[in-house]
Amino acid sequence: MKKDCLDIGSIQEFMDGELDQRRIASVSDHIGNCDSCAMMLADAEDESAIVFPALEREFNTLVPTQRLWNKINGAIETERDNAPFWTKAWAFLKVCLINPSLAVAAGLLVVVALISAVWISQNNSAVRGVEIVDNKPVSVTKPVVTNSDPVVIPIRPEILSENNAAVAVRSSSSPRTERSRLVNASFSEKKEPKPADQKPAEVTLPGEDSYVKTIASLAKTVDLQKDSVMRPSEWIAYERDMAVVNDAISKMRTEVKRDPKNDSAKQVLYSSYQNKIDLLNSVSRKEELVASMK
Amino acid sequence: MKTVNRQLKLILASVLLSATPVVASAQRANPPEPPVVPSTTRARPIPYPQTQPPERYDGQNAERSIKVDPSINLSLCVTQGKVKVNGWNRDEIRVFVAGGSNFGFKILQKSSKTDAPVWLMIVAAETKPKQSSPNECLWGGDIEIDAPVNATINIKGQEVTTQIDSVKKVNVRTIGGDISASNIANGVTASAGQGDITVEDSKGAMLLESTTGNIVVFEAGPSEIGDIFKARTHGGTVSMQALDYRQLEVNSISGSVVYVGQVLSGGTYGFGTTNGSIRLTLPQNSASGLSASYGFGSFNSEFPIKVTTENISEGPVKSIIGSLGGGGDAVLKLTTNNGNILIRKQ
Repeated sequence: MKKDCLDIGSIQEFMDGELDQRRIASVSDHIGNCDSCAMMLADAEDESAIVFPALEREFNTLVPTQRLWNKINGAIETERDNAPFWTKAWAFLKVCLINPSLAVAAGLLVVVALISAVWISQNNSAVRGVEIVDNKPVSVTKPVVTNSDPVVIPIRPEILSENNAAVAVRSSSSPRTERSRLVNASFSEKKEPKPADQKPAEVTLPGEDSYVKTIASLAKTVDLQKDSVMRPSEWIAYERDMAVVNDAISKMRTEVKRDPKNDSAKQVLYSSYQNKIDLLNSVSRKEELVASMK
Repeated sequence: MKTVNRQLKLILASVLLSATPVVASAQRANPPEPPVVPSTTRARPIPYPQTQPPERYDGQNAERSIKVDPSINLSLCVTQGKVKVNGWNRDEIRVFVAGGSNFGFKILQKSSKTDAPVWLMIVAAETKPKQSSPNECLWGGDIEIDAPVNATINIKGQEVTTQIDSVKKVNVRTIGGDISASNIANGVTASAGQGDITVEDSKGAMLLESTTGNIVVFEAGPSEIGDIFKARTHGGTVSMQALDYRQLEVNSISGSVVYVGQVLSGGTYGFGTTNGSIRLTLPQNSASGLSASYGFGSFNSEFPIKVTTENISEGPVKSIIGSLGGGGDAVLKLTTNNGNILIRKQ
């Protein structure tokens, strides 16, 4: 045995894993070079192999070693780190309730949170009304994009600075997604209408208003009557004829808009209006006839 | 250090707990409600009151006659049946109903000179079986009426096939069934809901309207200067031959217009359709002004046309204004939105 050989205690600690890393390395190096210490380690391992299974129950239940304590503490730390938020919150609440001052503080915090929630919800309802109005120009003024990519509307910095105050006020109590829509709405309000966006002036022919009014009043009456007066086949014929006439009116209106001097189109338009009136009148006359025979 | 970290975590948890309702309330900011879209479901149509065909022949036969003024105005209402009116040279009206309702005469007015009825109505004397309320309308298999040739006949009917021959004037309105008039001396007014109208060898102003039926008129003309011919159908064809009117207004919505006859000097002939063709067959010496508008179709004429204005550019309306056959006092006005215009020589 050399004078720097290991004692049986160190070998036992080495076996139990109770040494630090540096000491474990030196013990390992020494055992590798010292046959007597290696023999001692082998004897100790043999003894452990015999004794530990026999005394395992005693070790595990009655005498917790340092190694066991370390394992227990490590497991507690791991479990604490992996615990869900709600478990931690519940633990926090339990601590608060145990301490009266903390419980009072928590109660006050909850009350303040409830009041703020009610106040914010009321503000949101008021802001929502504004959003509906502001959303209109967004949907109208933005060009139609046919591809499937999401539409990204760049916002000019100067526009943002112009509307900074309004945006700040509105965004202070609005969620993130709503905030961006409000910014877009403000942008649309400031947008100058381009000449291409302006609707062409509505061309109204002389006497057309009276045709349109007459048709509107007749249509209102006929819509109430036609269900009771017409048979299905008549109904189909009526709808077909009405579709033909409406198509003619639509085409002629477009043509007259395009070329207001097109007298032929005007003439056809007038005659189509008259056809529509006759068609509607036919239903009214039929209703009169049916009523007179009852 | 561990204690400080634990306290920081607890404070963070309390802050998150208090912020939870705020975040939740913010999440409740719903997007704007979508616009209300009117329901497109159509209300179920009310069943049309149907007649009862099995009861057509379960009535009785009845015949009555009455002495009337030669210029009698006769009115009757018919629920269903086949009505035949024939003019004769007697101052008497005879009515025969086969397999139908009993009836009577209701005198509405008498002549101050002859004390004979000048306005008479034929009314049902009994109500139809299963009919809840009394009704003046006749019903029967065949209803035959003989009336003076100078009589004016007014008929309104529901499901009636009407044939009128050799009377002075006719006014018929039906919901279903064909109307046929011939040898009418002084005008025909006929309105058929679902039925054809045929007028033959008749004179006088004419106003013919059908909803889904065809209109056929041949050998007709005015009884007085200025009598107008008007024919209008929504879903049928208007066919005319040998008419002597100087003013014609013919219109169809989804049918064609066919005219075979002459163009009289000073006449105004208006033929129009929204979705159909216009075909004219005129004598070879025909001459008139011409104004034709057509959309998706073509214009063809066997007559020489002197074009004054022509617009055949791309668009829903093309037009030709000019004179046909060297020009004349008459005006031919042809309009179709979707169809051809063809003018042929006889």
